[in-house]
Parts: sequence; structure tokens; C-alpha cells
Amino acid sequence: MIKINNTNKLNIILLYSPTIILFLSVLNEFDFNFLKLNYFSFNFNYILIFYYSLKKSKSLGYGLIFIAGLFNDAITGTPIGLTALNYLLICGFAGYLRNITLRPNIIKDWIFFLVTISVVNSFSYTLLTLVFSFQLDYYLLLINIFFTFLFYSFFSQIFGLFDKLIFGGSHD
Amino acid sequence: MINGGSRDDFIIAIRSAFLKKGNQQRFSLIGLIFFSIIILVLGSFNFKVVNYLKVGIKEIVYRSSFIVSVPENFVKSIYYLTDDHFKIYNEFNSNLLELENLKSKDLLNEAIVLDYQRLKNVINDYLIASEEIVAKILIDKKSPFLRSVIANKGSKDGIKLGMVVTENEYLVGKVVEVNYLTARILLLSDLNSKIPVRIEPNGIQSILSGTGEETGIIQYQKERYTIENGSTIYTSGSGDLFQSGIPVGTINDLDSPSIKGVTFFSDFSQLRFVKILSYKKTRFNVSKEVGQIERIKKEKLKAMKKNEVLEYEKKLEEKAKNEAENIVKEKKLENEKLKAEIKEIKKDITKTNEDEKNYKKLEKRYRSKCKKRLISVNFYKVGTPEYKECILRKGIKIN
Repeated sequence: MIKINNTNKLNIILLYSPTIILFLSVLNEFDFNFLKLNYFSFNFNYILIFYYSLKKSKSLGYGLIFIAGLFNDAITGTPIGLTALNYLLICGFAGYLRNITLRPNIIKDWIFFLVTISVVNSFSYTLLTLVFSFQLDYYLLLINIFFTFLFYSFFSQIFGLFDKLIFGGSHD
Repeated sequence: MINGGSRDDFIIAIRSAFLKKGNQQRFSLIGLIFFSIIILVLGSFNFKVVNYLKVGIKEIVYRSSFIVSVPENFVKSIYYLTDDHFKIYNEFNSNLLELENLKSKDLLNEAIVLDYQRLKNVINDYLIASEEIVAKILIDKKSPFLRSVIANKGSKDGIKLGMVVTENEYLVGKVVEVNYLTARILLLSDLNSKIPVRIEPNGIQSILSGTGEETGIIQYQKERYTIENGSTIYTSGSGDLFQSGIPVGTINDLDSPSIKGVTFFSDFSQLRFVKILSYKKTRFNVSKEVGQIERIKKEKLKAMKKNEVLEYEKKLEEKAKNEAENIVKEKKLENEKLKAEIKEIKKDITKTNEDEKNYKKLEKRYRSKCKKRLISVNFYKVGTPEYKECILRKGIKIN
């Protein structure tokens, strides 16, 4: 009986592992800042949210994504609700892609991801500069979009592999 | 794969993505999006409930983030430790040289600082730091766009908006957000950071802005002023937020001669503990200062008078001393003279004694030749000096 319970707990943890990773990613500081790499940054959260909203939406609840966004705002110092809005927009784009896709294709996902993050970041940039009078470096934002786009393929392979190992590659 | 592009299909897909609540989802996406927008809008108008929500989230998130970041901080510290070990020998040698230079400069600086403080006090511009609050950096998660860190001291510890943050006397930034237990520090490297600075040695006033990276730039610089590479930047103290003279960084215009880049003294990626402080102006108490000046004047006058008396006494002493010396000299001369006279007298006495002896010896023998008789002319009465001389000349007459 105990064994069954433990297995269930493990299954639940594995099922919600994307949520756990999202919160860890939001809360911790793993950003390679200490390597002092100029012109290098990427948004891991965007990749994770887009991938799991597209492929395995039950692993990543909208409510939890919203809370993760609020947490991220608190940490980075952006106005509360902005990152949550960005994350939810990414979920919306991913949901739209899921609805119109009959035969999944990594290249199309990748291109659509570029469009998604470009729109979301542009929206965020516009709000921050025009409404909240923040000064942002446009080139750094572009670099961030570029590397986030570049790493999507790599991380989607890793997430795919993880799903295959744990759940046998089943998608909802 | 994608439905023929018809408008209906697009609307259905959008509606399905945003409006339809999924099987496993508890909240509808569009509902949450609206909720986010409401929070954003109310937050921008400083709505009370949203502010409480913000503060609550921040208190939870900062502490949680610190705990969650422990593994990464551990990796980071190992990286820095290894890196430091490789650099330590060269750094030690250069530090030795630098230390020698600094020791010599420090002595000079002490005197200059004292002078500077005195002069600043006179023009009522000297700012005194309040008590320093040492804070630990909880989170230094910098987004690619915003450069800020979270410190573990908040309003509970007396932190206020706009307080100055330093590390090893170097300026780091200022407090831009205060929570009950934590505070956000906007680093100098942030694009939104603008501080008034003075560029030495020429004393050029300007504004230092962050670049969003590890460096800063000098803004609003007039072309007629030449800023040399390697010039040191200090806070100018304009606006009374920062005390004048806090070291910030050095000019490093490697990129282009027209854009003056700034390398900060403090390494913002390695902040562990910082000092948070504010400055307030000292009240220049005129009556007190005037009273003090009068007192100093009086003391000076007293001292001058005392000096005069002392000098007069000294002169008198010298005069007395000279006179005494002259007297001693005269006495010495007199003494010598007397000694010589005594010597002469002694000589005479000796001669007289000898004469006496000879007289006694010769008297009996030559008496007849010198003694006066009734009929003799050139003879002398016994006992007279002439008689004695005659005896001593053995009766020989001189004439």
C-alpha cells in the first residue's frame, strides 16, 4: 500500500515537474551572470511555458503560470502583473498553435515561437517604456529574443526526451 | 495541418485558445489575462489593495528566492574561488606595489581631508552621514534589462527611499523600493540610474548614466571640456542626495572618443554586503561659530601678551647674563693683575730677605768702610738704607 502511495506521489511530482521547474527558474538566479558574458541572455521561462502549453498543457496550469509571473515581477522589479500577462499571452499563442496544428512539426513550432516572443516582448517593451517610463536597451531585448529563439529547439528536444522517458511520449 | 485560412477557423482557434477552459485548467486564460491587466492598471495608480498584494508577494518571494538560489550561489562561489586562486599571485604582487603608493598618499590625504572638511563646514555644504546600516544582498538576479539587487533590510530597520548604497566606500546605487523586511537597490549600471558627478582632475560636472550592462556612460558632456582617459569620477553632491566626493569609477573611453564610458570601482556581480546610508546637512550655527571665533581671538590675544612678557623677561635675562659675564671677565683680569702684583711683591720680599742675609753677613766686615764718623764725609749713619746699600756694595762708593 505504501509502495503504491509513494509511486503515486512520484507520478504527481513528475507530472507537475514543469511547474516545479518554472517556479525554480523564476525564483533562483541561474542566469550565467557571473560568467560576465556580454550580449548573452535568454528567457528560459518563455521556452518552458510555450513548450508545455503546446505539448502537455495539463502539466502547467494557467493559474500557476500567472502566479509564477507575479513572482518574476517581484524579483526583476518590473510592474506587478506584466510578466504574468506575458506568460499568459504565450500560453494563448501556444493554445492557438495547438488548435490549428494537425501534424506537429518542430520547425513550424520554432518559427511560431519566434513570432510569439517577438510579439510578447514588443508588447512588454511598449508598456514599460510608454506607460511605466522605464528605460530599456532595445538591442539587449533583441539579443534576448534571438537567444531564446535559438535555444528553443535545444530545450524542446530535452523536454521531449524527458517526456518520452517518464510518460512514454504521450501528449494531450 | 492548418485549416485553409478561413476567417471562421481562425476565430474558432482563437476562441478555443483564449476563451475555452481546458479539461485540466481551473482558470480561463482570458480571465487571467484580464486579471493581470487589472492588477497592472491599478498598480500604476498606486491602488492600496494592489500595493498590499505587491508587498505581500515581495516578502514571500525574496525569502523564497534566497533559499532556492542557494545551490546556484554555491556554484557561483566555487567559480569565484577557483578564479581567485588563479589570479591571486599576480594580484598579490600588484597589491604590494599599490599599497606602498597608497601609504604615501594616505598621509597627504589626511591633511587634505581635514582642510576640506573645515572649508565645507564654513560654506555650510558639509554633509554628515547618518548611521550606516549593513545589509546582505539576498537576490542579485538581474534581468537583461533591469539592474537591481535585493537587500535584506527594510523599513523595519530604518531604510528609506533614496538612501545611498556603498560597498567599500565606493558608490553602488540607491534604494528605489522599500518593503518591511527587504529593499530594492537600483545599481549605477541600470539604464534608469542617473546621478550627478564630478570628473577629476578637471572638476567637470556631468551626469552619469547606466548602460544596462556592467558599465556606465557620461551624459550631457559639452565638447569644449576635454575628459581624459583614466580620470576619476566622484559624486558631485548636487541635489543633496549623495555626499560630494564618493568615488564612483574611472573614465574608460575605449569604445569611441566621443562617448565617455565609465568603469565602476565596485563589481556589481559580486556584491555580498553593502552599506546603506543617508546624508543630512549640518546646521551652521552662526552665533555659536561667531562665539567660537571670538573665544579663539581672545585666546590668541592672551597668548600674544604672554609671549610679549616672556620675550621681555628673556631679554632682561640675556642682559643680566651679559652683564654678569662682563663682570666675571673684569674680575678675572683684576685677579690676574693682582696675581702679577703679588708675584712682584713676593719677588721683592725674596730679594729683601736675601739682602738682609747678605747685609748681616757683610755688615761686620765692611762696617768700617761705610760707618759715619765725625770727620768722614761719604759715610752713612748705621741703620739707614744708604748704609745698608753701602754694606751690600761692600763699601764701594758710587759718585
